[in-house]
Amino acid sequence: MAVVRKSIAAMTSAEKITFVNALRRFKTTSANGRNYNWYIDQHITYFARTNDNISHAHQSPSFFPWHREYLRLLELDLQTVSGNPAVFIPYWDWTGSASPFTADFLGSITNGSVSSGNFSPSWGWTMYRSSIATSFLQRRVGQNASRPTAAQVNTVQSYTVYDQSPWNASVSNSYRNRNEIELHNRVHNYVGGHMATREAPNDPAFWLHHCNIDRLWWLWQSSRGIDTYQPRTGFTSGVVDNNETMRPFGAGRTPSAVRDITPLGYSYA
Amino acid sequence: MNDINRRDVLRYGAAGAVTAATALAAGQALAGPKPIPLPLDPRDFDELYKGRRIRGRLLGLGRDELHINNKKLALTAISTLFFPEDGSEPYVAMGYISAINHYDPVEIVEGRNQDCLKKLSRKVVDILGDLELGDEAAKGHQH
Repeated sequence: MAVVRKSIAAMTSAEKITFVNALRRFKTTSANGRNYNWYIDQHITYFARTNDNISHAHQSPSFFPWHREYLRLLELDLQTVSGNPAVFIPYWDWTGSASPFTADFLGSITNGSVSSGNFSPSWGWTMYRSSIATSFLQRRVGQNASRPTAAQVNTVQSYTVYDQSPWNASVSNSYRNRNEIELHNRVHNYVGGHMATREAPNDPAFWLHHCNIDRLWWLWQSSRGIDTYQPRTGFTSGVVDNNETMRPFGAGRTPSAVRDITPLGYSYA
Repeated sequence: MNDINRRDVLRYGAAGAVTAATALAAGQALAGPKPIPLPLDPRDFDELYKGRRIRGRLLGLGRDELHINNKKLALTAISTLFFPEDGSEPYVAMGYISAINHYDPVEIVEGRNQDCLKKLSRKVVDILGDLELGDEAAKGHQH
């Protein structure tokens, strides 16, 4: 079933409850051979270079398509585990005023341990492979960085080159790298706590944030061209080319295969 | 033999191995049964910051070591854009990330009097608040 991914600002109370309950259930129940912690494992594994020296998830051109597939899988698993094909991942447009950190959604504690309410241990949310010695989800919203503004988003969206050599965090004229550092990284640091760490998917805000990053890439594609991934050919050292499989996803899950979101079963409202 | 010479001998070659061993033996004799103090770089530090013991050893790019309250934090060096806070043009430099500051590299500045590792350790303490590093933080990885 195709779903429409909504802004958190447009969600109903029922949709928020459905989403957080699906996440909680997925923490303790497998679906399609995966569970919630599998996602944290993949993020830690594929943030690093793999043994064939390829950067799959970050600081490389496949940053966008890798996370697009990652979110698509999670959305599918949340639908399966909750038996509700209408479950969707909402996006958090952090340039706006709507916050996900409320008691009825991702929890209202934004300075330190989420010790009560949604996403606290007593609610049913436990940390996995935490580099901070704690059983509580940590947040330090706004202490280490500010949110990107709408003007800053527009500046980043105006870059016309998708990506180019050396295909890493040092490329200046690159939409991918500008988005990854100036928007993506900054919001991880804005939320702080576990969102600032390698195991960031411990915080469900990860999905709302990356959904917005995926939406921005889709908006960029809609104006610059859907089939604009770089590099195109299969011989660029150290990165995933357009027709190269992104690990850990299955054979054929290439940047090219996820360039258009319509066949992936979702759209943005 | 002073500390700087001992460090250079240990760091830069097998040619100095005999001299280094002699220096270590002398150090051991002075230190008695305690572990041998490792050679110091002038930028190494072992001090308190917000009540936490921060300890850094400068061993060269990609091999530098950082401990916070005796828990190791693995460091990964990456080449990345940095955006000056005054809004001037971004520039490329090497930076350290870790499991804790994974999206917020600290620029590595070479040179004897620079304190990038101390700056990184303070940032990590600020992120940790009153918590400690977990074992996962000691696991390194390449980017």
